[in-house]
Amino acid sequence: MATKNSTAGPGASFLRRHLTEIVLLLGCVVVFAFTAYVNDAYIRLFQYNIQHIIRYTSMLGIFAIGAAIVIISGGIDLSSGSMIAFGGMICCMVISVLAQAIAPDAADPTSGVPSWVIVVAVCSTLGVGVLVGTLHAWLITIVGLPPFVATLASLVGLRSLALIMTKAVTKWQGQQAFKINIQDETFMDIGSVWWIPLLIFVVVACLAWLLMNRTIVGRHLYAMGGNEEAARLSGIRTDRLKWLAYCMGTMTAAIAGILFSSEVGSSDPQTQGVGYELYAIAAAVVGGCSLQGGVGRITGVVLGALFLRVVIDAVAKLIGSGSSDYEGLIVGLLVVLAVAFNQLSDQAGGWKKQFFPGLLGWAAIPTIGCLVGASVLTPEGNPLLGLIAAAVTCVVLSIMKLAADFAGKKEA
Amino acid sequence: MIDMHVRPFRLNRLLPTFLLLCLTVWQTGCGGRSSSSGDPSASSSGAVKRVILLTNGDDPFWDAMRTGMEKAAVDFDLASANLKVEMDKNDGTSKGQIDKLKQYAGQTDIAAVAISVTDADNAALARTMTDLDKVGVKVITVDSDINRDKFRSSRFVYLGTDNFVGGQELGRAAKGLRSNGGTFATFYGLSAAANVIERTSGFADGAGASFTKADGLSDNMDLTKAQANVRNALQNHPEIDTLVGIWAYNAHAIVEVVNETGIRDKTKIVVFDAAPKAIQHMSDGMIDAMVVQNPYQMGYLATRLAKAMIKSDTATIQEMFPNINPETGEPTSENGDILTTELRVVVPDAESPLIPEMFNPDTQFFTSEQFNAWLAERSLTGS
Repeated sequence: MATKNSTAGPGASFLRRHLTEIVLLLGCVVVFAFTAYVNDAYIRLFQYNIQHIIRYTSMLGIFAIGAAIVIISGGIDLSSGSMIAFGGMICCMVISVLAQAIAPDAADPTSGVPSWVIVVAVCSTLGVGVLVGTLHAWLITIVGLPPFVATLASLVGLRSLALIMTKAVTKWQGQQAFKINIQDETFMDIGSVWWIPLLIFVVVACLAWLLMNRTIVGRHLYAMGGNEEAARLSGIRTDRLKWLAYCMGTMTAAIAGILFSSEVGSSDPQTQGVGYELYAIAAAVVGGCSLQGGVGRITGVVLGALFLRVVIDAVAKLIGSGSSDYEGLIVGLLVVLAVAFNQLSDQAGGWKKQFFPGLLGWAAIPTIGCLVGASVLTPEGNPLLGLIAAAVTCVVLSIMKLAADFAGKKEA
Repeated sequence: MIDMHVRPFRLNRLLPTFLLLCLTVWQTGCGGRSSSSGDPSASSSGAVKRVILLTNGDDPFWDAMRTGMEKAAVDFDLASANLKVEMDKNDGTSKGQIDKLKQYAGQTDIAAVAISVTDADNAALARTMTDLDKVGVKVITVDSDINRDKFRSSRFVYLGTDNFVGGQELGRAAKGLRSNGGTFATFYGLSAAANVIERTSGFADGAGASFTKADGLSDNMDLTKAQANVRNALQNHPEIDTLVGIWAYNAHAIVEVVNETGIRDKTKIVVFDAAPKAIQHMSDGMIDAMVVQNPYQMGYLATRLAKAMIKSDTATIQEMFPNINPETGEPTSENGDILTTELRVVVPDAESPLIPEMFNPDTQFFTSEQFNAWLAERSLTGS
C-alpha cells in the first residue's frame, strides 16, 4: 500500500503513521497528570492505582484486539459480551463438574482443585470460542447473513444458552442455581493478580501484531476489509479469512470470559459482560480502526483500551461515589471525538468545514447545548450550573455559525 | 505498509482534540466535586473522609437508607470528626461491587464501607472485602450479609434484616389470606441474588406445604420485563392465585398486570418492601400484605457504627453489639456479630384477615394508615 506523502523525512513519516497512537499516549499522560494534580490518590497510592489500571486495560484490551481484527477485516462482532458470559460459564462449569467428580463428598469441591482441572477448563473454553467463531463464519459466508445479524443472534442467544446450561448443570449436581461459584484460590488469582492479565494481554497483542503486520494472512485481512470483492477477485480466500477473523474475535472474548469469571470467582450468565461488546468496539474505534474496514493497527487498539481505562479511572477518582453513572457518557463522547478526528483529518479541508450549516445547524446548536448542560448536572448540584453551561455553549456555537455563514457569503 | 489511509501530519489538528479532551475531564471533575454532598471542604486531598454505603442495585429502597444515614450524620456529628456519608449505587452484579471496592482501595479518602452484598457465596467478593480491610478501611455488611459460615471474617459485623425470616413472614401472610393453600408465582430482579434466594426459601417455608410454586421469574431489573413476566406467568399457569413480589418494584409490575387482566377478585398479592407506588397500591386496595424492612434504621445504625469503628469508640460498639469482642472482632456468642433490624407486616386495614398473632412476636404489625403516619414522621416516601 502506498502512502500519500513519500517525500517526507523518516521522522515525519513515523509521526504521520502513528498519529493516532501518539495522540492517545499524550492523552493518557494529560488525563493522568490532571487527575494526579486534582486527586492525591494517584500519588499516594501510585503503585496500587497503576496496577489497577493495567489489570483492567489488559482485560478490556484482550477482547478489544479480537473485535478490532474483525473490524479491520470488514466485519463486526456484536457477540463479545455474551461470549464472555458463555466462555466464563464453560470454564466454571468444567471446573465444577470435574471437581465434583474428583471429590464427590467434599463440602465444597471447587476449593483446592488440582491445576490440571483449570488447564482442562481453559482449553475447553478456548475450544468453545473456536466453535462459536466457526458458527459465525458459517452463518456469514455460507448462509449469507450480514455479520451484524449473525453476531446479533449470538449476542442474545449465547447468554440464554449459558443460563440454560448453568441451570441444567447445577440441577444435575444437586441444587439448581443461576450461577456457578468457584472457590479455588488459584483460579481466582488468574484474573485478580494484576500481572497475569497483563501477561496474557501482552502475548495476545504480540501474536495479533505479528499476524496483522508480518504475515501474508494479515495483509490479506487488511485487503479484504478495504475491498472484499477486489480481494476475492485477486485470489484471496476470503471465506477462510473470515473464519480466522471471527475465531480470533470469539477466542479473545473467551479468554476475557475466563479472566472475568476468575476475578469474581463465579460465572453469572445473567449479568456477566453485559454491554462489553460496545466497549470492545469503542476501544478499537478510539484506537484508529475504521468501521468500514481495512484500517487500524493493533498498537492503536492497545492504546485505545489504555486510554479508555485511564479516562474511566480518572472519572472515578474525580467524581467519587456515583462515578459509574458518567462512564457511558464519557465513553460515548470519546468515540464521537475519535471518529470525528479521524474522518476530519482524512478529508481535505476537513477542519475548515462549516459544522452548522443551514437549518440543521440551528437545530443542532440547542441540542448540543442541552447535552452539555445535562452532563454537568448532578443530583445534589446546582441546576443553575447546567443552565449556564447550556446557554454558554449555545451562544459560542451560534457565534461560530454566524461567523462561518458570513465568511461563506463573503467567499461566494 | 499496512495502513492504507495515511494522513498528512499537522500539529495544529491535534489542538482541538486535546482541548475537547481536557474540557471533558475538567467538566467531569467539576461535576463530581459539586456532587459531593455535605461539607464543601471535602476533597480527596482534604482531611474529610467518606463513609460509603455501597448498595447492591438501584431502587427507592435505598432512599430511606440514605435518609437514615444523613440523620445519623447530624445526630452523631460526623462533621466534627471530619467524616461525611455517601451512597454509591451498584449495578446489581458482584463484579460491579468488586470493581467499586477495588476503586475504594485506590483512594485516600475512604474511611469505612457498609456494603449490601449481592452474592453471599462469592469468594472473590469476600476476598476483596478482606483486602479493603487490610488497607485500613472498616468494612461492615448491611441489608444483605456475606455467607457467615465461609467468610465471616471478611467483615466486622452485619446489620439488617434476616431475609429468610422476612420471607417466612410473607409466606405466613399468604397462608393467612388463603387458609386452604394455593398456587403462587414469585417475581424478582436477579435469581442469584442472596436476598432473593433467602426470601423465596423463607416464603416457601412460611406458606407451608399447602402452597404450590408454579413459577419464579427474574427480570434483570428491567421494569418492562418485570410486567411481561407477570403476564407470562398468568398465561402459562392459569391456576396461579397468589402473586409474590420479592423486590420492591415487583409490586407495581404485579398490580399493573392484575389491573389490566381484571383478576383482582381471585388473586392475592403479597410483596416485599414498601416502595412509594406499592404504598399507594395498598391504599387503593390492590395489595393484601407487605413485609417491610426498615432501611432507615439500617442506615442510621450503620453510620453510628462506622463512626464508632473509625474513632475506636469501643463503648458504642459494645452497646450496639454486646456479644462481640471489639478488639478482635470475634463474636462471643453464636449471633454476636448480627444486629437484626426491624421487620414489619403491613395490611390495608383492620378488616384484613391477617392478625398479629400469625407472625413472629418480634415482627411489628401495622395497618396502612399507621404505617403512612410512621413514614410521615420521618419524612420518608417509602421503606
